[in-house]
Amino acid sequence: MMEIDVRRAGGGRHPGVWFDAVMTIAAEEEMPRAKRRSSLIRSPQFSSLVILIVLLAVFAIADANFLSPLNISNMMAFLPELGIIALGMTLLLTAGEFDLSVGAVFGLAPVVVMLLVQNGGVDIGVALLAGLLLCIAIGAINGLIVTKIGISSFLVTLSMLLVVRGAALYITQGFPLKSWDQPGFFVTLLAGSFSIGTFRFYTSLWWFIGLSLLAIYVLRYAKLGNWISAIGSNRNAAVARGVPADAVKIWLFILTSVLAGLAGMISAFRISAASPVAGTGYELEVIAMVVVGGTALTGGRGTILGTIVGALILRSIRNGIVLIGVPGLAYNIFVGVIILAMLILHALLQKNAARS
Amino acid sequence: MEVLRLQNLQKSFGSVRALKSASFTLNEGEVVALLGDNGAGKSTLIKAISGVFPVDRGDIYVRGQKVSIRSTRDAMDLGIETIHQDTSLAPDLSIARNLFLGREPVNLKWLGVFAPLDLAQLRDAASALLKRVGISKKLDADALVSTLSGGERQSIAISRAMQFAAKVIILDEPTNNLGVEETHGVLRFVKEVRDAGHSVLLITHNIHHVFQVADRIIVMRRGEIVAEQTVADTDLLTVESIITGADMSALLKETRAK
Repeated sequence: MMEIDVRRAGGGRHPGVWFDAVMTIAAEEEMPRAKRRSSLIRSPQFSSLVILIVLLAVFAIADANFLSPLNISNMMAFLPELGIIALGMTLLLTAGEFDLSVGAVFGLAPVVVMLLVQNGGVDIGVALLAGLLLCIAIGAINGLIVTKIGISSFLVTLSMLLVVRGAALYITQGFPLKSWDQPGFFVTLLAGSFSIGTFRFYTSLWWFIGLSLLAIYVLRYAKLGNWISAIGSNRNAAVARGVPADAVKIWLFILTSVLAGLAGMISAFRISAASPVAGTGYELEVIAMVVVGGTALTGGRGTILGTIVGALILRSIRNGIVLIGVPGLAYNIFVGVIILAMLILHALLQKNAARS
Repeated sequence: MEVLRLQNLQKSFGSVRALKSASFTLNEGEVVALLGDNGAGKSTLIKAISGVFPVDRGDIYVRGQKVSIRSTRDAMDLGIETIHQDTSLAPDLSIARNLFLGREPVNLKWLGVFAPLDLAQLRDAASALLKRVGISKKLDADALVSTLSGGERQSIAISRAMQFAAKVIILDEPTNNLGVEETHGVLRFVKEVRDAGHSVLLITHNIHHVFQVADRIIVMRRGEIVAEQTVADTDLLTVESIITGADMSALLKETRAK
């Protein structure tokens, strides 16, 4: 999966249309206009945006192809797959938990669905429903163990990663499935493509945009968002106010797991194949996106806008450094170093903003 | 008039009898201080009243009505608000959002937890409340709680309890970790709360604070209430000797002789 990812990785320019829509929503801050500007500049997603713009400029100057329609189209094909998981992870992190099993779920869900259809002769709709229930079950088990037994989400979801990945390897005997040759409604729904001028986009981009808007609404404007932030900020305080903290966390684990499965399906349909090792290492990349975007790893402070920016940053780094000719094997060194530099820059910008 | 009455509350954790038997009455517009050494059963008692866990035996009456408190929500709905030390507010949320946490004003109520917050009402109500409690000059309803001092946080937490017209406000060590000035601010605030007609149950280690604000003192020792006195009828040393259980009569006589 990662190899395909590297070869076809796309550029990181933010597409004007939906970004404007998102920014309009963000502008409706819950404070008077005068204070809005300064608080926007101080917000963590703003420094992420600065970093993204700098990054795009550097890559665009270094290689003219970076902003070509083909490269942007490629990039937009990959962005939603990790981006969708990152939305769930942002909400979960804001509530003070995280999920390391998402990469494994990303791999297992399509393997199960496609096996059911190819070997079991099950209808695709029924198979997808089975995949959905599987993801719900995985999320629910994560959530129940974390909240009811009180084991840290790091340990619980790390174990779940092994169980889920192991299951995917066992049921496939370690081999990728034979390629998927059944176009149909669900394939079009999840991985169809359409063209706007010279740009080619996948329907997954709409999924990402729609889910992003929903997540922004929930975290910022809904009663549930208030609860999520409060739980991550001070769980005891939230519980003392009658907030059902455990139930909220369990549902967020389920949501994250379902989104990981959805992203896995999108990816598998797009490349017409399911592999038991798909999504290896995605959990850390997704967490990096969320944290680079400005969400606190310790909970309480989450930003979906930041996560979208973070997803764009990681995507453009992966794409840009390939374009400018970093050798394949040295590739992860660069990604790691750049992410680290991002985080340091982030911390410095934040510190400056706080001082002024 | 009686607001809260506890009758023979008992609670054990395994073989430990944390609360052997507790009965007392709290009246309207009264500050009652609950004193006792560590392990005396104070927190067990207030946790039982605020719905953190159910009692094994005994009855709770609110305004003469027998009630059953099974959750913190039940307690809040009965007008019992508890302010725990350091755990009452979410630091990453604004003052306004904290004030309404768990009771958010929303539009489109049928959306349940997905209902949008009524931000205008949230802010207006928060500002009005801050003004009423006299801290509007310094504080902005949109400021994050993490930017506030300890005393300001206690004031916000107490205001929140007042706002929901709580009959009984339980303060758990409200002056812990506060500076001298802030402590006086909080104690003054407690008096204002009482004058506004609320009843306050004050849990504290600091006997000096008790004598500044309380009307009545209840002392617990080893899971039992061992003394109940009005502040006017007692003095610091007597109370101290009851708390520790030590015989301080000699010292007492000596002081009184002076």
